[in-house]
Amino acid sequence: MTITSVRVYEPIRILQKPQNGVDEQQQQLSPPARVWLAPEPPFRGPIPSVADGYRKSSPSTALIIDNGSSLLRAGWSFDKLPRLSIPANMSKYRDRKLNKSVMYAGWDTYADATTRGQIRNAFEPGTGVVANWDVMEGVLDYTFQRLGFGEDARIDRPIVMTEPLSNLTYSRRMMSELLFECYGTPSVTYGIDSLLSYRHNGGKTGLVVSSAHSTTHIIPVLDCKPMMASVSRLNWGGYHAADYLFKLLKLKYPSFPGKMTETQVQEFLKEHCYLSKDFAAEMRSFLDWTGLEARDHLIQYPFTEHVVTEKTEEELARAAERKRENGRRLQEQAAKMRLDKLLKKEQNLEYLKSIFTSLEGQTKKEIRRILDIEEFKDEAGLERKIKELEKSIRKSRNKDLGGPENEEEEETPSFPLLEIPDDQLDPDQLKEKRHQRLMKSGLEARQRARVEKEAEKARLAEEQRLDDQKREEDLAAWLIEKHANRETIISKIREKERFTADLGNRKSMASQQRMKTLANLASDQPGRKRRRAGGGDDDNFGANDDDWSVYRTVQQGEVSDSENEAEDLPAALKVAEALLLEYDPDFNESHTLGAQSDWTKSLLHAFIHGPRPFDPESQKEIHQIHLNVERIRVPEVVFQPAIAGVDQAGLVEIIADILNQRITNPSQQQDILKDVFLTGGNTLFEGFDERLRRELAAMLPADVKIKTRRAKDPLLDAWKGAAEWAVQGNALKEAAISREDFMEKGGEYLKEHDYGNVTGL
Amino acid sequence: MPPTASDEAHQELLASLDVLSKPRKFRNPNWKPSSRRNKTVKQIIAEANRREASVMATQNNSGATTPALQPTNGAATPTSGATANLAQAAHSLSTLVLEKNLQARLVAEGVVSASDGATAAAAAANGGGGGGGNGNGTGGAGLVTYTSIEAAPSLHPAHAKPYCDITGLPAPYKDPKTRLRYHNAEVFQYIRTLPQGVAEMHLAARNAHVILK
Repeated sequence: MTITSVRVYEPIRILQKPQNGVDEQQQQLSPPARVWLAPEPPFRGPIPSVADGYRKSSPSTALIIDNGSSLLRAGWSFDKLPRLSIPANMSKYRDRKLNKSVMYAGWDTYADATTRGQIRNAFEPGTGVVANWDVMEGVLDYTFQRLGFGEDARIDRPIVMTEPLSNLTYSRRMMSELLFECYGTPSVTYGIDSLLSYRHNGGKTGLVVSSAHSTTHIIPVLDCKPMMASVSRLNWGGYHAADYLFKLLKLKYPSFPGKMTETQVQEFLKEHCYLSKDFAAEMRSFLDWTGLEARDHLIQYPFTEHVVTEKTEEELARAAERKRENGRRLQEQAAKMRLDKLLKKEQNLEYLKSIFTSLEGQTKKEIRRILDIEEFKDEAGLERKIKELEKSIRKSRNKDLGGPENEEEEETPSFPLLEIPDDQLDPDQLKEKRHQRLMKSGLEARQRARVEKEAEKARLAEEQRLDDQKREEDLAAWLIEKHANRETIISKIREKERFTADLGNRKSMASQQRMKTLANLASDQPGRKRRRAGGGDDDNFGANDDDWSVYRTVQQGEVSDSENEAEDLPAALKVAEALLLEYDPDFNESHTLGAQSDWTKSLLHAFIHGPRPFDPESQKEIHQIHLNVERIRVPEVVFQPAIAGVDQAGLVEIIADILNQRITNPSQQQDILKDVFLTGGNTLFEGFDERLRRELAAMLPADVKIKTRRAKDPLLDAWKGAAEWAVQGNALKEAAISREDFMEKGGEYLKEHDYGNVTGL
Repeated sequence: MPPTASDEAHQELLASLDVLSKPRKFRNPNWKPSSRRNKTVKQIIAEANRREASVMATQNNSGATTPALQPTNGAATPTSGATANLAQAAHSLSTLVLEKNLQARLVAEGVVSASDGATAAAAAANGGGGGGGNGNGTGGAGLVTYTSIEAAPSLHPAHAKPYCDITGLPAPYKDPKTRLRYHNAEVFQYIRTLPQGVAEMHLAARNAHVILK
């Protein structure tokens, strides 16, 4: 999947220093914005099984598993770094071609579209609690295989495993059952990831703030002992942030043609989001045009441009020539055909004329016979036909030669019969008279219309003259009038827009009006109005022409009354604005409605399409995502959960509550605040520690010293801490739940220690 | 369609990734997990609450936990330093007995001195006990459960500033029809042209789309 073509950017408003050039060739026009490409699925290639760790280990070497909801990390206690770091994903299905079940875990689930389609995660979404044990089992199988087990009958190494703060007892029981009964491990030790991370970073007394993938935990620690009664959890983490960002993007681009995936959105979150130092102020001016180019991050999804074959000059000329040639040929053909017709007509005329002359001096009977053969009623008919032919021949001759066309208009027809009373005429003449009367009224109507037209023209000219005169006499008043006129037109346009927008809404005034009309029409009883007008059974619908307009009202989407004038509203506006542009010195191009609704004025344009113009035809541009406001809006939720509708206090308020309500000893409070420790992937946002320190300082008394620090590696320190803890003296032995303990005391049994949970429900 | 070379290579890759086709002898062949072991957090909590209600208050935690021994100096853990009172003992008698026994054994083995052991036992009763369902959140050591550690709603909900549901900018206005918050007139016009159902999706993004059942 690659970008197949690159369109040249249109000139931009805000210039920016060129960043690593994605589209080199456009630099002479304007420096291009930096473009990020949509990330690919995170398949890492096959991870080999390595047994050397296993060979190196002794039966007392612990296997360390940090069972995190974003990534599961596993390795030996003597390792510096975890050997394996995989998402707790499994994809298991029956391969139809091979006719056998297959199972992939970790990154391998992203290998191709089929495996991706079957991915299931071990954790309940948005919590750190394992909910799908089949997946957990598959992921552990994979982990043990990759760590070099496989041919052994059991996992004969103690296991240290992390679990969330206040893990549910059921969840722990299932894990113990799985590890002891399925894998036959000699012992299991459970620890809390954030406390182990704190241990690794040498913390003794302080406040552990662990904002991780699925939750944010706050644990005060005194002398290496977690104060379990004062811990707190905010149900927000990287998972929720990514989910929220995904929702926002889907709403921002409702018809986005590319395929956005959750893993991609997680990448966006990591790459582009940061914690604002002063959220309210930064947000207020985030979409301002100044510097938007730098704040707006553009992500390009793969697309295929519709191929428009560009024709060369020569080809175009040839095509035009061909077209002209065709036209000429057609014209010639038409002319030839006309000529043929003309010839035929002339022959016909000759023939009829000869008949006419031959009729002279014949007996009546003979004339009758000849006329019957030629299918004429009488001599007058023949004469008329001859006249008609002559006229049409003359007409077509004129057309071909380009002579005067309406020469018959010139000869004013006379209507002699109209003057004579009816009783002096025979039936034939009466008929003729009727015909003449018709002709005369037609002629008169035409003349009247012509006069009216002239009058209208004169009236317009007079109006224009008066208008000009008024303008010359009193420009200010004239301008006021014209401005008012423009306002009316604009408000009419707005009105119409609102009306059409409202029609789609079932509850709008327009729709309700329409429903009322429909109901009235459908009801058997005639409406009050109609009864008043007519009465009785006959509702004389249609007698009045206005009655029929009801069908127009009923028709959906029709603007009933102002329809005719609605069409030329934009034109009228253009005329009005042209006048103002010409005569009002204070009214320039930027004041016209067109300029005001331009994209450079639009906040929503900046929000959706960034600082550049948007071309809805361009495949490239409709495959783009602009991250701007979201970059600070999403990470901010930890501090203001109300933004995403989480009904919990923000991080700072929780901490202040713990310090003020639960730790009553002031010296302890101060000790704890001297070491505010940040761990977990969600604290990786740029500016997290600074922001937390500043907001805490604002909440607490001025003389309290606050120090925040980040874990050396917020992601891996939990694992490292667990590995160190496991090799230190007999700490592990005291905290481990042995196989005997499990057999005797059951799956819910837990030994409490400084880095672990206490018994809960 | 005949398989191409790249198809075959991909098939080989998939075969090499397959977990099932590799040896997994570490698994107990007799392991038969319950078919209904997958439960959501909600289900688990509901079941735990039900079970708790049916168990007699004094009989929980019978040996489910071995409490951590406090360090030799009891003053170092002030939060759990309170002495066990009779009420707590009544709530979790079994725990207290268990601790007493443990303590006696440890004293006999000479691990801790008698006085420290007493503090530890009291502290343990304080921390691990109290399972009678009164998961008091504030002050002292209460029962720490998945549900009880959840942070409370903000005490200053009025401090939560409204932000525009469309653009995220500060929102001084609210559309009475769609209940969406908006930043300015332009956004308002946009809101009014939203197709049916989209306004609700915007509300749902901040959990404000309440459906009464």
